Amino acid sequence: MKIEDISKNTEQLVTIESKDLIPLPYPYDDPANEPLMKRLTDDQRMRYEASLDGIIAIGIPKPSSKEEEEVFVKKFLSGLEKLLTPENNWTFLQPLYHSLEYCVKCQICNDSCPAYLASGKKEIYRPTYRAEVLRRIINKYIKKRNKLLLRLTGSDIDLNWTLVARLGELAYRCTLCRKCAQVCPLGVDNGLISHEIRKIFSQKMGIAPKELHELGTMQQLKAGSSTGITPKALGNIIEFMEEEIEEKIGRKIKIPVDKEGAEILLIHNAGEFVSWPENTEAFAIIFDIAGIDWTLSSDLVGYDAVNYGVWYDDIQLARIAVKHAEIVKALKVKKINVGECGHAHKAMIVVADRILTGELNIPRESALPILADIVLNNRIKLDPERNNFPVTLHDPCNMVRLMGIVEPQRQILRKICPQFREMEPNGVDNYCCGGGSGFAIMQSMNFPDWRSAVSGRMKLKQILEVFHDVIGPDVKKYVCAPCSNCKGQIRDLFAYYNVFERCNIFYGGLVELIVNAMVDIKKPFIEWEWR
Amino acid sequence: MNTFLAILTYFAYCFIIGAYTVKIIKYLKLPTHLRWELYPVIHEEKYAYGGSYFEKKEWWNEEKQKRYAKGILYLLKEYFTLGDYLTRNVLYWLGLFPWHIGFILIIAFHILCFFGALFMVLGFTISSGSPDLWGRILFYSILITGIVSFITGTVGSILIIINRIIDKSLRTYATPLNFLMYIFTLVVFISGLYSWYFIDPDMKEYREFWKGLITFHFVGVEVGTMVHIILFDLFLIYLPFTRSLHYITRLFAFFLIRWDDEPNRKGSELEKRLIKNLNQKVGWQGPHIGAGRSWNELARYDR
Ligand code: SF4
Ligand code: SF4
Repeated sequence: MKIEDISKNTEQLVTIESKDLIPLPYPYDDPANEPLMKRLTDDQRMRYEASLDGIIAIGIPKPSSKEEEEVFVKKFLSGLEKLLTPENNWTFLQPLYHSLEYCVKCQICNDSCPAYLASGKKEIYRPTYRAEVLRRIINKYIKKRNKLLLRLTGSDIDLNWTLVARLGELAYRCTLCRKCAQVCPLGVDNGLISHEIRKIFSQKMGIAPKELHELGTMQQLKAGSSTGITPKALGNIIEFMEEEIEEKIGRKIKIPVDKEGAEILLIHNAGEFVSWPENTEAFAIIFDIAGIDWTLSSDLVGYDAVNYGVWYDDIQLARIAVKHAEIVKALKVKKINVGECGHAHKAMIVVADRILTGELNIPRESALPILADIVLNNRIKLDPERNNFPVTLHDPCNMVRLMGIVEPQRQILRKICPQFREMEPNGVDNYCCGGGSGFAIMQSMNFPDWRSAVSGRMKLKQILEVFHDVIGPDVKKYVCAPCSNCKGQIRDLFAYYNVFERCNIFYGGLVELIVNAMVDIKKPFIEWEWR
Repeated sequence: MNTFLAILTYFAYCFIIGAYTVKIIKYLKLPTHLRWELYPVIHEEKYAYGGSYFEKKEWWNEEKQKRYAKGILYLLKEYFTLGDYLTRNVLYWLGLFPWHIGFILIIAFHILCFFGALFMVLGFTISSGSPDLWGRILFYSILITGIVSFITGTVGSILIIINRIIDKSLRTYATPLNFLMYIFTLVVFISGLYSWYFIDPDMKEYREFWKGLITFHFVGVEVGTMVHIILFDLFLIYLPFTRSLHYITRLFAFFLIRWDDEPNRKGSELEKRLIKNLNQKVGWQGPHIGAGRSWNELARYDR
């Protein structure tokens, strides 16, 4: 396949076949048993762009006329121009400029990419591929190089509707895990290229996956949360949590809400309330018993830490970051603590750091160091024997490679899980769960199958490898993933391959393990029930 | 011819310095961006495993002192060993390493020739039997850097061409200009090798030539040496049009992007720069944006 083939009007650029995928260990070592990825219906193919790899993440409608095609291409080009201007893209121009100008195409980065490796090295998933396509478009249509120079620099490419639409889809075959960037000897970041392409689509063309934009940032800003939970619904959820806690630990706990002047405002990914309430309950139990002065917020957006803007749209990122900061300010709490959500950590604490100026620059930190402090200093009584089953740790990219929070979670696990074991590679060298950059919540057509079979494959491989000696269903095992999106992805990945039933591998957060080890609680907190 | 050669050389050096400076200024003038670091961050005390200050409770209470020495040492080591390539693609490294060493040394060779000439102007004798210690040191440094550069550069250029052809992924992304560049560098190194072996085993002509440039009494050199000087000058002029500045921009990419973990503190210089950025008008026209307002206003404006 040649790079310029992306603009050719072929039915499909690449086909993913089971036999090409990287092999999985036992008991998934027979490719014949690989689940078949859903094929798109003829109707879906007719209506949406699917000619990249037969997968649809965004669902870009096919144009109905030549004019529509032209407008689409023009918009893209004008967005690309904006992307290269300081006033419109001060947020990322320097790293983008570096990545566009100084890649020497040594291809060292490719073998770090989980999607590229898992797919059996499909050319389009190569980290350098998208960047090269974008570079060629810039050389030909923005820098307007002459024909000879285009030939010499290998920059000839035809910009048409097919190319733009495929490139848009392709930006959503990269989880922005930035493992490729980490190994680039020259500091080039091909993950960033995907991020910037996504921005052109959203900020200029108004195109983004529905789950990130319409049901994501837009819904969060309007209704309070990307889950659709309104402040009123939150009240009911908290009541329910208090009841569940009482049932589980035999004691009533009052979950503080909107407590002015509290030491900590704890903010969860609201997905936890819906899918894993045991996580938010475990936080409440730990903080209560450790005597922490904390509160939740019931303010619009204040009870949902997510900021999907960090994946596709700088303006939406800024809006949500500012909302979070304003809530903290109004509540007069001392600081904000982010619960187990990787991208919220990265967005709120790191990326938004250069958006929140003056009074909005409120102290923000991860909840993990506080948890480590509670556990390591014996502020609650724990019995590691209660967690005496094999446990491994998944490192959420946003929290670990992109933020350097590596040890607190390990210190906790080493103390409370006698059979804790590390995957290889781990820490800042980890592989993404395959659900990064919004994938975990994107449910479009056959995209969930792709993120299980392809982008999540390296993670599944690692998990099976780390438990290889106890892989049978007779031993219960636990993957600790201190991140909501990673948990969502692992849930779907396990369901796709039926991992819970076949291998008895369960997954969950970190705080659940802490509470499970608490001496004062009679019943095991982790219920080992697949939901 | 002597004058032409001298003017070309002056021009080549002025050009490369000027062009590189313009490029560097352009790079450094790009606005302060959002944080986008990647761990491990070299100056972190927990660098060994990639930890950061975010592992500490209330990290903002700690004043951090950035230490640049470690980062510079790391990058210098990488410049001279290309260790990242060695660990990830040995075959590629086998060509890339001598090619780069050829570059580094050919530049060192010409700089040393300049110093040799300067010392000659100051009255030193530059030769193997020079009574001055500096004369002998310079003589051998020039000789060794020159010879090693020409040999490693020649070998490297050949290997890198072979590599780019036989390795499918390298070939797919290689451009005709890449190959022209490799051939060009090959010719530059071979011309140096030829001139040293057949014409000027002591590299005396280069020193005389440089002495002429310093004193403005331009001297002639043998055709072989002249060809090498012309090719090297053209090479210098061509360099700014390639990605060669990655030698320097890599430093920026690491310090200003990958390792940039500077928190935004109230009242800091960084905050002032950010406020300026945030006050710029946004030109994006996506339906949800509400273009025409500043970043600051837009962030507070829900649609
Ligand atoms: S991004 Fe870096 S590692 Fe990858 S091809 Fe470019 S220079 Fe090489
Ligand atoms: S950021 Fe991650 S998924 Fe994207 S290209 Fe790089 S390694 Fe692959």
